[in-house]
Amino acid sequence: MEMRVSEIDGVKKVSLLGRLDALGADVVETQFSGAIAPSGVSTIVDLSELTFLASLGVRMFISTARALSWRGAKLVMYGARPAVAEIIETMGFGDIVPLVGSEAEALALVAG
Amino acid sequence: MTASKPAPSSLGLRLSERAGGELRLILDGRLAAIEDGRLAILSYLEPLALDPLVINRLEVVFEEIVSNIVRHGFTPGSGQSIAVRLAVRPNAVVLTVEDDGIAFNPLDAPEPAPLTSLETAPLGGLGIALMRKLAADVRYETPSWAPDAAFKPTNRLTVAIATAA
Repeated sequence: MEMRVSEIDGVKKVSLLGRLDALGADVVETQFSGAIAPSGVSTIVDLSELTFLASLGVRMFISTARALSWRGAKLVMYGARPAVAEIIETMGFGDIVPLVGSEAEALALVAG
Repeated sequence: MTASKPAPSSLGLRLSERAGGELRLILDGRLAAIEDGRLAILSYLEPLALDPLVINRLEVVFEEIVSNIVRHGFTPGSGQSIAVRLAVRPNAVVLTVEDDGIAFNPLDAPEPAPLTSLETAPLGGLGIALMRKLAADVRYETPSWAPDAAFKPTNRLTVAIATAA
């Protein structure tokens, strides 16, 4: 499990690569929330290289998005592969942390 | 049909064999064993060329069940085990997981609150809810065993994942 952080026009971009299973969440959760939550900067999360998502990964997204919302910022996900998108849809998780198709859509949503 | 092969060299798998048309695995009580089990399952199912979404549902269900057992049912360092069987049926793959940890029936767990807002979204119970949504059928039993059995499981969970629409 790997994570990359960059910035696009004042918006933080985090890319997750690999499997966000129990072991992956153990590896990346502290790094993920630490890179996003304290900054209070709206963040887009690129899921295009995320090959697997289970509930511990979803918990990580929810707790980080909640901490961001307390600071008036947003978390938006984009580019999920079909298997990952199905899990997000099955959990109804996209209703509280939006999932869109492209980076441009994600940027538009955090700006709106 | 009985065809066995020796366990892979990985430490997480104590046993991996194919017998009676099923895949049988014994996992140790570490999260790392989930990956070893997953790879054995993928190898077993490869000839069937199942829909990748079906394979993913099975992987997620396997992950949720085993990680729940390891994180909540086992005492670290106790040497407890998880026995896994995977069988292919006409319209489903059926996963049976037995463990000798704390007795726990996930079907008795309350449904977590719906994910309607960030403020109220629960952070616990999501894995069991996800497993139930992905499965076509989930059954829980308290297994019985012979007094001299080497493995005395306290939980048996049987989950069917549909392979046909």
